Parts: sequence; C-alpha cells; structure tokens
Amino acid sequence: MMARIDPVRLRRGALDVATSVAVVALSLLLGLLIVIAAGYPAGATISAFWNGAFVGSLSLDQTLETTIPLVLAGLAWIVAFRAGRINVGIEGQILVGGVTATVVGLYVHAPLGIHLPLTVLAAMGGGAVYAGVAAALWAWRGVNEIIATFMLNLIAALFVTYLVTGPLQESTHQQPISPTIANSARWPAFFGQLGLSWDLALVPVGVALVAWTLHRTTAGFRLRMTGENPEAARHVGVSVGRVGAVSLVASGGLAGLAASSLLLSSQGGALQQDFSSNFGFSGIAVALLARNSPIGCVPAALLFAALREGGGLVETEVGIDTSLVDVTFGIVVILAAASLYVARRRWRLSESLRLRSLRRHPGGLTDTRL
Amino acid sequence: MGPFDTSLVIAVVGLATPILFAALGELVSQRSGVINIGLEGMMLNGAFFSFWAAHATHSLLLGVLGGLAAGAFLGAIMGALTVSAGGDQIVVGVGINILAVGITTFANEQLFTSGGNQPSIEPMAHLQIPGLVHLPVIGKAFFDRVPLAYIAYLMVPLIWYVLYRTNLGLVIRGSGEYPDAVETSGVSVKSVRWCGALFAGGMAGLGGAMLTVGNLGVFNELMSGGRGFIALAAVIFGRWRPVGVLGACLVFGGADALELRLQAESSIPRQVWVVLMLIPLLVIAYMVVRSGIRRIARADLIFGGAVFLAGLVLAVVEPSWRVPSEFWLMLPYVITLVVLAGLVGRARMPAAVGLPYRSAAALDS
Repeated sequence: MMARIDPVRLRRGALDVATSVAVVALSLLLGLLIVIAAGYPAGATISAFWNGAFVGSLSLDQTLETTIPLVLAGLAWIVAFRAGRINVGIEGQILVGGVTATVVGLYVHAPLGIHLPLTVLAAMGGGAVYAGVAAALWAWRGVNEIIATFMLNLIAALFVTYLVTGPLQESTHQQPISPTIANSARWPAFFGQLGLSWDLALVPVGVALVAWTLHRTTAGFRLRMTGENPEAARHVGVSVGRVGAVSLVASGGLAGLAASSLLLSSQGGALQQDFSSNFGFSGIAVALLARNSPIGCVPAALLFAALREGGGLVETEVGIDTSLVDVTFGIVVILAAASLYVARRRWRLSESLRLRSLRRHPGGLTDTRL
Repeated sequence: MGPFDTSLVIAVVGLATPILFAALGELVSQRSGVINIGLEGMMLNGAFFSFWAAHATHSLLLGVLGGLAAGAFLGAIMGALTVSAGGDQIVVGVGINILAVGITTFANEQLFTSGGNQPSIEPMAHLQIPGLVHLPVIGKAFFDRVPLAYIAYLMVPLIWYVLYRTNLGLVIRGSGEYPDAVETSGVSVKSVRWCGALFAGGMAGLGGAMLTVGNLGVFNELMSGGRGFIALAAVIFGRWRPVGVLGACLVFGGADALELRLQAESSIPRQVWVVLMLIPLLVIAYMVVRSGIRRIARADLIFGGAVFLAGLVLAVVEPSWRVPSEFWLMLPYVITLVVLAGLVGRARMPAAVGLPYRSAAALDS
C-alpha cells in the first residue's frame, strides 16, 4: 500500500533539508575563511580535510566509527524532544553508562556471547538510571529537566574524574585511566577492519527502532502527542508526567548505548576522564541538523564525524590546531538552532502547535508538567 | 580555629568574585526571560580577550573593556539568535560554549603559545579602602581587592535597586514572568530581552577579565574551569534575587576555598562538621525571622534536622575521612538540585524563561 504524499509535508521536508544544507555550507565557509585569515593555504587544508575524513580504508573506518555514537546521541535527544522534554544531559548519561559498562566489563568474566550483551546492557542501564534521576525530579518534584540534566552532567564528569584517579585507576596509578576491558566485552572488528567494529550495526537498528516506535506504535503516538500538544494529550487520558519521564529514561538508555560504542569499540577499551569528549553535546547538534528526524541523524552524524576526523589530519599536515573544528562546530550548532525558525517564518509556514499552545498558556518552562 | 581563619575569608571572597560577575549578569538575563547556558563560554572569551587587549595595549583598563566587549559579543549572538530569530535558548547556549572553547584555544595557539613561551602581564594592583580595611575578619577580605572586584560587589545593591525600585526593573521582571503584559504596556519584550542577553554577556566577560587581568596575569586554555556553570547554579541557589545570588556565590566560593585548604589535611577536622551543624540552624533561624514560625514547611524542618544530626554525629565521632576533591567540587551542583527539588524552601524560576517571545501581532500574520 502506498501512502499518499502530503504536499505540505513534502514542501516542509524539502525546506528542512535545504536549510540544513545551507547551514552546513555557511559554517564550513566561515571555518575556511578563518583558515585563510590565519594565513594557511586553503587548498592544502581542504584536501587534507577530505583525505582525513574519507580517503583510504582507515580514515573511512574511523569516520564511520565516530558516526555511530553521534547517531545514537542524536536519537537520544530526539526521543526526549519529541515528548516535549529537553535532555541536555546526554553527555552525563554517556559518562555514567561508560562507568557501569566499565565495571561490568572489568569485573565480570564470561565468553563474548554473554559478556558483550551484558556490558552493553549495563551501559544502557547506567545511562537510563542517570536520566531517571532527572526524570524523577521532574515528574515528582517539578524540577525543570533542562537544569537538572545539565547539573547532572557536571556531577557525572567530576565523578568519572574521581573514579579514574581512584577506585577504577589502572594498577600502576600513573595515568588517569581504567584498566583495559577484556576483548570478551568489546565489539568485535567489522569483517577484520582495523578501525571499525560491529557496533556499526547499532546505527540501522537504532534508527529503525526509534523511527518505528515513534511513528508506528501507540506508545510513540502518545509520546508525539504529548510533545506537540500536552493539553490535548491530557484530555484524551495520556499521563503527561509518565510519558515525559519514560521518554527521558529511554533517552538516557540510548545515550548509554552511545557510551557502549565509544568505550567498547576496538579503539576504546578503557574508561578515561574525557572519553565522552562532547559526544553528548554533538548529539544535540546532530538532531538539530537532522530536524529531529531519526533517519536524518545518519547524514548529520556523518558530517560531524568527518569534521572530527578530517580536522585531525589537517592538524598534522597543515598545522592548524583542531580547536578550529570546535569553532566550526559551534557555528553549526548556533546557526542550526536559529535557522529553523527563520526559514519557516520566511516561508510563512505555521509554527508548531507546541509553541502556540505554550504562547496561549503562559506557564512556560516552569510549568513543565503542563 | 583550624581551617577557619581570616585567610580563608580572603580566599572565599577572592574565589567568589568572578562567579559573582557572571551570576549577576545571568540573574538579570533570566529575570528578563533569557536563560543563558553559554555563560561558561562568555567567561572564557572574556578571560582571553581581556588578556589579549591588556597584553597588546599595555593598559589594564583597555583589558577590562576588552573582556567586557568579548563577553557582550557572545551576548549579542545569543540575543540575535534567540530573541530576534526565535532559536532555542538552551541549544544556542550550548553552541556558544563550544564556540568559545574553539575561539580562545585557536586564537591563544595562533597568537601566544605557538612560539613556545606563554606571555604574561602584570595584573591589577590591589586598592585598599582606607579605614574599612582595618575591620576585623572581613576587612582585608572585602576592602583589600583589585578595583574590578569592587565593581562586582557594588553591582549587587545596584541591581537590587534597579530590579525592585525602578520602572526598568519592573519591565525586566515582567518580561520574564508575563511578557504579554509588558508588550501590552507598550514596551517591546524583545528589546528588553536583548538588553538582558547583552548584560549577561558583558558581565560574564568581566568575570573572565577578573580571572586574567584581575588576578593571574596569564591566560590558560579552558581557564574558566566551570565557573560559568557554578554561576548558573548560584542564580538558582540564590533564588533569582541579587542578595541571594551574592550569598550563593560566597557559599560556593567557600566550598571551593575550603576544598583547597583541606587538601593539606590528613582528614576533615572537627570544625568543618561543627559548621555543617550550624548551617541548618542559621538557615531555619533566618526563615523564622523572615516569615514566622508557622510558615516553615515540615519538610524543611526534617531536612534541616537531618543535616544538623549528621553534623553532630560526625563532629563527635570525627572520622578520619578525606573527601576526594571531586566531591567537594560537586557540591554547588548537588546543592542546586536539592534546592530545585524543593527540599530547602521554595525556588521558582521566572515563568516565561526559555520561551521565545513573539508579539500577538507577529503571531497572527
């Protein structure tokens, strides 16, 4: 059965894609302008960037490997956002998921078939429970989930620092890093590739699962309804508090899955202070650029992964500090955040119901249980 | 008495000052309806560019102004993208933090550290206030500071006066609570919020300048070290009121100073537990004086009593614990969550904070 294509939807979708492409093009251009202004050769920079990101089996492997946690972090944002909840704590949930995965990876001994799933589940559980703290504070005590998840990030970062310099530190106590997790708890190499492991399978599975749940199940329908019009959702008997809390916990679980990819891939293997290195926040950028579409996360994540990996080779070949990648990345986030509204207003498409209902019922962020 | 002496008070005030700058800016910004998570980045930007300006011009005043401008520049980005373009305040704030890390690290690498040696400048000299500096305990802590620090503390009564005693303050508070009312009275909510965003940026920039020009005389990568986030926490802990924010900054500065002090000790001395015991007593006494004994919630009493008892037991037992510094550093964030959860009194955010405002006329078009 073919679904009829709604022309308004199609137009909006095309506009979203065009806006995202424009944002990316503009950001890359600004980054390149800085390169030229700082007196570096533009041509060499571009070619080093391209080679570092895509050319050669190892570069491509690493870009794909970096794409995986980015997609999962993007999905984590989407799951909460579609329910009307803002989870800026993905970074912290990745950190805590990494801790629980490290503990299970180090102290449980089992063959791969049991150990790996157990460790991955531990990562998901850690992320979900940590998001659950914010969800509980939100649902029961009315604490704004943005502030709560944000504060929990900072707490998690300090906690991981404590662990890798204390209880979980490797035996010589020289480096702030945990012992290496056994291979039985690590993603096996993807068809013998050096830089890519089987966690790549998490991308299609994760995207399909989230898209299917959101659009083809009752739970997903409830979730989207809660996000788009909490008032209406309540009227038809949906528990807005429960849906919001569950969406936050699910979001944390996906963040934990991202942690499993970061920690248990062939290149990771040990807990470090900054192993989450902004992947949680990058996930927000991925989802923004994808306009909160699960499938859209894949190209968006690929772009950010290319930025990270390409930036590395630019540093070694042209000598430009990788902090320029942060600059470009920041520009993408900022422009992507604002462009949606500008583009839609320009094209006179109506804004989302959520904003309208919020505007009519001043209560704003404080009234989080709306 | 153990770690509690005059030099601790001096350290507390010193550590609280940069945070106070950023927190006061954030206070006004949130009161006008703009929540600014980019505070950390604005501080970092202020720290770098104030150092850069002072280094290039050999003028500390221009350095301070450079910090102010660098912070305000990011504040303007915040204003343009959230207030004018209607982008999400949280996301733009996150973006600003990332952007500022990139800008300052890149520029620092290009301008200063690529040669290998880190330049430094002579930081501001202290300015003693005659007479007051001889006050016991607080004299040297509050009245023997760099000039920039006095500005931070003078801002507290100034912001209090503007917020609560002037028309402008009413408009600012209205924009954060009930923007439609402000718009109806003929004042543009967007321009008020723009000013709030700029003010927060400028103040955070001054907080950054406090770190470089006002204190160390050098710039280090990521030197804001989470102070912007602590300032964000201080606004919540201070319950969106100027005097409360000042108190919160001093408490967080105190935790920080105490942590530095206790690193040298083998275990936590008894005095710390006694102070822990006294805090709930003082807080509850203050609440009784302020709103009468009947207005105190039972949950507050139970929580306060629990903290008091814990302090009492620990003071008697005096266990040989050494709390890892990370747990001390967590304190501001944990306290913020506890306050928000309503375990200690009530904390209410400005109602319309975080929501993009479009006037009714714009909505109908």
